[in-house]
Amino acid sequence: MAQEILRVQDLAVSFPTEDGTVHAVRGISYTLHEREVLAIVGESGSGKSVSAMALMGLLPKTAQITGSVNYRDQEVLTLPPKKARAMRGRNIAMVFQDPMTAMNPVYTVGDQLAEAYRSHHRVERKVALAKATEMLDRVGIPQAKDRVRAYPHEFSGGMRQRAMIAMAIINNPDIIIADEPTTALDVTVQAQILETLIEVKDSVNAAVILITHDLGVVAGMAHRVLVMYAGKAVERAEVDEIYTRPRMPYTAGLLGSIPALDSAGGRLHPITGAPPSLINLPPGCPFSPRCPLATEICLHEEPPLGPTDLPHHEAACHHWETLAEVPDPTMLFRSEAGA
Amino acid sequence: MTAYVVRRLLASLLILLAASFVMFALVSLSGDPLSEFYASSDPDRELKIESRIDALNLDEPFIVQYFLWLKGAAMCLVPGGGCDLGVNLQNQEVTAVLADAIPTTLRLVLAATVLAIVLGVAIGIISAIRQYSSFDYGITFAAFLFFSLPIFWVAVLLKEFGAIRINDWLAEPAVTLPTAIVIGSFSALFFSALSGGSRKRKVLIGLGAGFAAVAIFIGLVASGWFKNPGMGPGIVIIGSVAGAVGATLLFTNLENRRVLFIAIGTAAIGVAVAYAGYPMLEDPTWLVLVGMGLLVTLVGVGIAYIWGSIDRAAAVRASVVTSFIVGFMVFLDHTISSFASYSDSVNGRPFATIGSNTPNYQGTFWEVTLDTATHLVLPTLAIMLISFAGYSRYSRASMLEVMNADYVRTARAKGLTERTVVLRHAFRNALIPIATLAAIDFGAVIAGAIITETVFGWKGMGVIFTTAVEHFDYYQVMGVFVVTAIAVLVFNLIADISYAILDPRIRLT
Amino acid sequence: MTILTPEPVTPGDTATAAPEREFTIKARTQGQMVRGRFIRHRGALIGLTALGFVVVLAYTSIGFWKIPGWWPLDFKDTGTVVNAGQPSLDLIPWIDGDGLTIGDHPFGQDQTGRDYFALTMRGTQISLMVAFVIGIVSTFLGALAGAISGYYGGKADGVIMRFTDLLLTIPILILAAVVGQAVAGGGPFFLAMVLALVIWTSLARLVRGEFLSLREKEFVEAAKAMGAKNSRIIFRHILPNAIGTIIVSATLTIAVAILLEAALSYLGFGVQPPDTSLGRLISEYQNSFSTRPWLFWWPGLFIIAIALSVNFIGDGLRDAFDPRQTRVRA
Repeated sequence: MAQEILRVQDLAVSFPTEDGTVHAVRGISYTLHEREVLAIVGESGSGKSVSAMALMGLLPKTAQITGSVNYRDQEVLTLPPKKARAMRGRNIAMVFQDPMTAMNPVYTVGDQLAEAYRSHHRVERKVALAKATEMLDRVGIPQAKDRVRAYPHEFSGGMRQRAMIAMAIINNPDIIIADEPTTALDVTVQAQILETLIEVKDSVNAAVILITHDLGVVAGMAHRVLVMYAGKAVERAEVDEIYTRPRMPYTAGLLGSIPALDSAGGRLHPITGAPPSLINLPPGCPFSPRCPLATEICLHEEPPLGPTDLPHHEAACHHWETLAEVPDPTMLFRSEAGA
Repeated sequence: MTAYVVRRLLASLLILLAASFVMFALVSLSGDPLSEFYASSDPDRELKIESRIDALNLDEPFIVQYFLWLKGAAMCLVPGGGCDLGVNLQNQEVTAVLADAIPTTLRLVLAATVLAIVLGVAIGIISAIRQYSSFDYGITFAAFLFFSLPIFWVAVLLKEFGAIRINDWLAEPAVTLPTAIVIGSFSALFFSALSGGSRKRKVLIGLGAGFAAVAIFIGLVASGWFKNPGMGPGIVIIGSVAGAVGATLLFTNLENRRVLFIAIGTAAIGVAVAYAGYPMLEDPTWLVLVGMGLLVTLVGVGIAYIWGSIDRAAAVRASVVTSFIVGFMVFLDHTISSFASYSDSVNGRPFATIGSNTPNYQGTFWEVTLDTATHLVLPTLAIMLISFAGYSRYSRASMLEVMNADYVRTARAKGLTERTVVLRHAFRNALIPIATLAAIDFGAVIAGAIITETVFGWKGMGVIFTTAVEHFDYYQVMGVFVVTAIAVLVFNLIADISYAILDPRIRLT
Repeated sequence: MTILTPEPVTPGDTATAAPEREFTIKARTQGQMVRGRFIRHRGALIGLTALGFVVVLAYTSIGFWKIPGWWPLDFKDTGTVVNAGQPSLDLIPWIDGDGLTIGDHPFGQDQTGRDYFALTMRGTQISLMVAFVIGIVSTFLGALAGAISGYYGGKADGVIMRFTDLLLTIPILILAAVVGQAVAGGGPFFLAMVLALVIWTSLARLVRGEFLSLREKEFVEAAKAMGAKNSRIIFRHILPNAIGTIIVSATLTIAVAILLEAALSYLGFGVQPPDTSLGRLISEYQNSFSTRPWLFWWPGLFIIAIALSVNFIGDGLRDAFDPRQTRVRA
């Protein structure tokens, strides 16, 4: 197996607010290997983006971060600001959700790419611009030589996201964090962007942490999947097993909400209700109010992420055994949807 | 772009036309210009009434009066067409009166506006970056206070404390307990608020700054500095080098030795030129000063261009800023050195409370400069305070909004330094709405100028306007209106154009 | 607009044990939230208290209309000058050991022996009245013009906006001075009404912008689709959403109006004798600064206290209505 480059352990993030402390991430752990694609899946508010921001050191000063993030035997969370800055964009780069707002409207695309390069390489502007052109070309932007002088508003959404990917790879990073890279885009260009992301990741030999709420996006891309709910990892497995043998009702519910072209009847079975507020979380499993399998124990005891009947497959559920016996887990939420 | 400007100018002309009609109607309604004669026992009464009716066309119906005025005013648009805005009650050409008054007002308004923008925006940004710090709270409160101050009240206070009492004190400089307390606590508050960091650090810095300020003050008084102030080469050199370091920090960082050395080199050349050309600076003209400044700037830029290597752009900018700072230091040095002789020439009352300059004042270039400056400083301060509050609040809000923008997060994610993130990415965007404020604020600045001129007895447009309104001097009021309305319209146009220049998404069509 | 509690989840058969415990957010109306945020704004609360104090002091002390106040002296009565007209008010007991004293002339007397406390109170009454009339009337006019312009668009919009363009071309003080002079002698109330007629334009623009964006919103579309009348859409659907902007702007207009009245009266185009206002008092007594500085200080302090209070209240209201605090203000 490839070498491990990132080890996240018990990462927790909380924000003090007027209404109380928000525990956005309540302790997650995972590892990432060279050239691997790890998908972190969850609803909005599950803490997946916040945990990624914590890796990058991009959270506001008010955020309280505990745990450890180890990048190539170096503790990232306690790095002095200067070293952390040198790592950002150079070793770990990021692609953001909304390409419409992620680029500075007053500078040309080329300037913004060149700036990313020059902040880690001492070269002349001309050299950096040539590099920017090369990168734009690599992510499939036609006439990169002219486009390098265009402003972001002159690009379409898909092109902007390509440019963001180009910006992420311009410094040959080890890790690319892609935070919902296709959510804000038209369905027609989503697949192309994902394909581009995979291509360029291979060309620079980077690993990818793909953050998404869409299990459909994950299927063709990721090697392993981490499912998050209410700030915690609730299931961790190889990508194929997640689809066929989920061991956490929440994952099963997510699967039930993917529109599948081949399913007869074509009816979706979404999870009802909404995720809990992360202020004053009550004891017990945070998913229990929405869970069809919930019993008395789920109200009092929050299950830890633990081994299941399958190797390398962990789930945080008291009733994973019950779920293992359900023939079609995606139908788990059917009774309610029909009711 | 040109088409846009032309179209906007035509639209402005229409608005101006309509506004002039409304204004003319209001002025006509405001009162009767003949009223001063009704109770008069002047033997020439009938004759005077007759001539005034003739001059102001009072025998015509209102609408004819307006078009007669408009006919003369319209000629102002035709080059060499004999611009005629009528005569005032003293039978002077309104155009001539305005030509005298406009430069006076402009001097006041320009200085105040530029200072208010620079200081207000700078403090607004610091305030935003240190949101919820004691500096932020202090500035917020100060801004609210300034918003709430009647400008004439401030102006009267400034006259008393900024001129009369200061002049008294300068005649007999002495350290008194109240002055020491005021200076010490002011410096303590300012520096501790600016410092940031832990509470203990703030208290220590505050105490240090307070006592240092008092010590310097006592030292200056004891050495008789206030009797014969000056800066000397030491301060000029220190200030210039500090300027070079600051300029480097503004465009890159101090680790960038190449840029730092180029900036310091520029500073050295500047100081050398200033002292080599010392005889020329004894009593120079603006031409000599600008020439010397230009020489230093060009040499500095040349050095930056040749040795700037990969940081050429930053080095050139740092050089230009440095040469400006050095020029300012040298200028200040010479001006302050002339303070003693200037003070003697105005009977030991250097800070003026009345007028825009000492009538018929003769002296060296530096003394004349000082004469202008000492007349300008208090009214400028009065106008500045109020605009300053607006700019600091507005740029703070604008900056706070931008700092949360996604592209600022992107800039951080690229690994840029915080300075680059704030100045290059956030500030550049925050500047866009501030450009609009400058235009809106201009009307307020004119209003401030009217009141301030009245308090300080400047013979600018403000005084002309108030006396004209008081005596129902139709054409004079209309003259002031035309000038200010054109200024407002032009400023609006400039704001829109600068908006388009600052924001590539806007295209003027 | 109400933030509703989400519908409780209907528990399925297997999940009967799941109680409705995940949502602890209480339903609060917008009014309650605004009030809550306003009360948390310390500056605004202090401002409200200070303004309340000034209003009560000014109107109860010398009375108003035909109602007598508790202060014995009239602002018009001249008298003998006691103790060179110095203020008898002593708020700092430990300086001369007299303890807290109010005395016969707490704010002193002018050179003709008029009681300066009564004069200042009279000036405060007039200044407050003028500022509030300007604030309320111009807000009403501006909101009305802005609403018509923004909602109906087209010809009405064109006419109203060109008219605001026209008025905004003339610097406010110039406009105000000329109309102030035109109505000199009409009394302070009339002056306030006339000034309101010339300063509603900036609010009209603000409200127009708000209406322009709100009328495109889904809930307005929905109301239209259901056949609601225009008046109902304006008053039931759009106005409640624009009310924050309007109230905040009204407050700030009052702060501006206090200063505008003072400036006009200072220049001699505002309140005319025999009546007085805070601005007039400063103007009248500015030359006695070196001999009787209190004649200059008191009215100034009252203007600042009122304007500062109103500005802080406005700031609190803005934060209360717009918790994102992103709206920038000129």
